[in-house]
Amino acid sequence: MKIHLLNTRKLALFGILVALCLAIQLTPRPPNVEFTSFFTFAVGVIFGPLYGGFFGCIIMFVNGFFSPYGFAGLVMPFQMIGMTIAGALGGVYRRLMPEKIDSVRFCTETAIVGAIIALIYDLVTNIGVGFWFVVGGMNFALAMLIAIAYGVFFSIVHIFSNTVVFGILTLPSIKTLNDLLGGEKIG
Amino acid sequence: MVDKRVLVFVTLAILVWAISISSLAAYFYLQNTTYTKQIDENQQSLNKTASNYDESMNKYNILMGEYSMLYGIYSFPGGNFTSSIESLGRLLDSLKGNYSHLLMDQEDLNETYYTVEEDYELIYKESNVTREDFGRLLNEYYDLFNLFAVRELSFVLSETVTLNVNACINYGNGTISWCNETIMPAGSSLFQLTQKISEIEYTHYPSMKPGHVLVDSINDKKTYAVGYSEGWSWIWYYWDAEKQNWISGPAGCDAWMLENGGIYEWRFEHWSWP
Repeated sequence: MKIHLLNTRKLALFGILVALCLAIQLTPRPPNVEFTSFFTFAVGVIFGPLYGGFFGCIIMFVNGFFSPYGFAGLVMPFQMIGMTIAGALGGVYRRLMPEKIDSVRFCTETAIVGAIIALIYDLVTNIGVGFWFVVGGMNFALAMLIAIAYGVFFSIVHIFSNTVVFGILTLPSIKTLNDLLGGEKIG
Repeated sequence: MVDKRVLVFVTLAILVWAISISSLAAYFYLQNTTYTKQIDENQQSLNKTASNYDESMNKYNILMGEYSMLYGIYSFPGGNFTSSIESLGRLLDSLKGNYSHLLMDQEDLNETYYTVEEDYELIYKESNVTREDFGRLLNEYYDLFNLFAVRELSFVLSETVTLNVNACINYGNGTISWCNETIMPAGSSLFQLTQKISEIEYTHYPSMKPGHVLVDSINDKKTYAVGYSEGWSWIWYYWDAEKQNWISGPAGCDAWMLENGGIYEWRFEHWSWP
């Protein structure tokens, strides 16, 4: 009976987080400043890598159709893959986390993880853009090089914003979510 | 001792930094390669234009020298024009040979050339060529020669410069069709633009100046007259950006050279006389 109640609570929280994340993701904002990877990572930490991956995947699928920047097209599957990796990394990070970790160290680590997630996500989506060039008849290697090189300014903004967002928000958010689910203490 | 976990995160942070910087370097390398290539292409294009310009000026000077000799004969009293007319014929042939590509490409020039050539044939057949006939033909030749020279220079320029113009056709019944952002080679006339954007019929009037072409129909809409006192014709206008209004074309459409960013209109208009 207890397990059933916990699952219902988890499911409700998962649904609320999906709705909240989608609302923020679909709101017009500066390019490459986003909170979805942070939410996805947090879900991965709280619910595990599978839920985290699924969360990121579903958010980017909906975003692909309703994004304020228009239909994502061929890049959408790559965005889904990128965000799935972000969610899975949340679960992996939780498993590799030491039993006791002080707050400053936790914030520093999550800031670095945020930067890594932004980098991986941008690499994956830039490869998606490169595929567009390949479809247009460009040489594969050149297409990938151009897509990655010309996306570098967006990537730098993304890495910087993710570092800040992860570094500041992860600890209080995970604490709150954990408390809501009655889980173990973090930080 | 630094703990292993710290090392891992420091390594990850360095990895992010290294990949970002490498991507930035790749971006600047690509930009540099692209700009270098563009600069090379532009330089080659400029060199070609300079070379073509030299060739064109050389041609112009030779023809001008030959014309100058004939003009000398015409200017000094007591010249034998019957024998000199053959030299003028050779000069016409030389003009044709030197500007053959323009004669092939530009219909209006072709027609003007053959009108001068016909005049020459008529005068050549006369047993006694008068000073007036010779002078008139020389004058026609000079006008044609200058027209060829201007078109040739425009042609040289067109290899590096293109014009972006807008034009519309006003059928006079409320229908106006626009052809925006039409790309034309530098030195193109309004006549060439009209040929490009529509189906036209026209008449070449050798005696009319400047420009010898009158447009008879555009896209099957034909001009017509009711007696001699009124009718409907195709009249062209250009947009004066300073005055902010349409100005009626002051010359034939084949004599009016297009400007980059120029806006032109062909209007099917009613006219009456007096």
